[in-house]
Amino acid sequence: MLNILCVCHNGMGTSMLLKINVSNICQENGISATVEACAHGEALGFLMNTDIVLTSPEILDFLPPTDAKIVATTNMLNKAEVSELLVKCVKENFPDEIA
Amino acid sequence: MDYILDLLLKQIFGQPFLLLAIVVFIGYMAMKQKVSKAIIGAFKASIGILVMGMGSGALIGNFGKLLTALQNATGIQGAGLNTYPTMTASYEKMDAILGEGTGATWGIYVLLVAFLMNLVLVGLRKFTKIRAVYLTGNAMIVQCGISTYIVWRFLGTGMIPTVLIASLITALYWGICSTLLIEPTKIITGGADLTVAHQQMFMDFVAYKLAPKLGDPKKDDIEKKKLPDSLNFLQDSILATLLVMLISTAIIMLVIGKDGVEWLRSADGFNQGGYKNFVVFLLWISITLTANIWVLLAGVRMFVGELMMSFKGISEKLLPGAVAGVDCAAIYGFAPKSVVLGLIFGAIGQILGLVLLLVFKSPIFLVPGFIPLFFDNATIAIFANKFGGWKAAAGICVVNGLIQIFGSMLAVSMMELTWWQGSADYATVWVAIIAIFKGIGSLFGIPIAG
Repeated sequence: MLNILCVCHNGMGTSMLLKINVSNICQENGISATVEACAHGEALGFLMNTDIVLTSPEILDFLPPTDAKIVATTNMLNKAEVSELLVKCVKENFPDEIA
Repeated sequence: MDYILDLLLKQIFGQPFLLLAIVVFIGYMAMKQKVSKAIIGAFKASIGILVMGMGSGALIGNFGKLLTALQNATGIQGAGLNTYPTMTASYEKMDAILGEGTGATWGIYVLLVAFLMNLVLVGLRKFTKIRAVYLTGNAMIVQCGISTYIVWRFLGTGMIPTVLIASLITALYWGICSTLLIEPTKIITGGADLTVAHQQMFMDFVAYKLAPKLGDPKKDDIEKKKLPDSLNFLQDSILATLLVMLISTAIIMLVIGKDGVEWLRSADGFNQGGYKNFVVFLLWISITLTANIWVLLAGVRMFVGELMMSFKGISEKLLPGAVAGVDCAAIYGFAPKSVVLGLIFGAIGQILGLVLLLVFKSPIFLVPGFIPLFFDNATIAIFANKFGGWKAAAGICVVNGLIQIFGSMLAVSMMELTWWQGSADYATVWVAIIAIFKGIGSLFGIPIAG
């Protein structure tokens, strides 16, 4: 079971839509994961048990130091692009979590 | 029979924590999800709406103490600018007269009906020209709450007419304004099939049309220039909220003087006699208010994702050709420097506006908020910079900051709330809508409901 964290500025709008897309992507690709959304300002509390962070490149600077794998894309709501990057990241780093 | 009617209408479909759970459950089932998932989502939504109420109750109560102290000392009426507490403050006013839970219940019905009306307007796009479905759930719930209160306050209508009228104005606002932004959003994102659906859409459109007349986007594109990193901490939503609270509380404490601060420490105030040191007390108040806002947001976060999922699924199923109207921050990745620019110049405009309120001895004073300041000006700056360069963006954001302050002041004076939305559209378009409803109400001699 992977823990995926979607991060935006306030953790309410964009990251929430991203979370919906990511949940669907995981289901479609047989990845077992729990998906959460938050603001970069409160990410620290979530990062302790996060495996993959999904966000936009300009937010990377705000993220606290973390061991989680980071996937950043400019158009966070482009499902095809997010899907490709996420599946690649899971295959490379967590091959056991994908069916 | 009476027992069953009361159970159904008042205790189940009249209580937001159960009503929302039912809505979320139906949403999951409509998306063909597992029943177990639907039950978990429904319970989380229930918890979320009660958490939201706890944060909101504490925030409105605590902030109210500061406002009372200010009013007692100077006669000035105060209000805070932030989106979510405006919704909950509206509900609180309705609940005080109509009974506990009524405001939010009506608000949830407005949310559902307004969303359906938005779909119908897009379905009839041949005639309406409306092509965008508004999917930003976190903004939708707030806007529906405020619309509900506007209609009920000035027309004094019962549940069904209030829900229908409030839904219609909200759905028209969503559909028309987000459709206006389809073209410019496409240019900004390099062809992404989405549009901005938020609470500064009208001003985004104004910026898109006005900016080319004010500057040259080829020569002055800020995205191609270097910016210092030192201002980045201002983009941290929690820290920026605390900073604004700290400055505002400090100003209020200076204005109300020693006696006022003593009252705030007393049992009538915060009942915190132990904080004898001025700075410690100031820190405690500011951090408490920030924590209250965070709790409110955490509650919203527990149910808004579920609502958005259903709305998105239903819209994609029924109207596959519609353009998705999404949160404004979805385009921030395409123009990160404009975001910083907007924040800085919007803040300059708002500070200027607040100074003018003091200079002209306005009877109303406002405490700015991170959401209207940051998200509005950042988004407007993206549109302005793309079509007119950074000089146009800077100018438009300063003016927008001023508009946000003065428009919100007008809205507060008509709505008599201790919180106001504060966003650009809620300082322009919605001020006009409120004035129209107020005018209709007084034309027919309807007393103000509350």
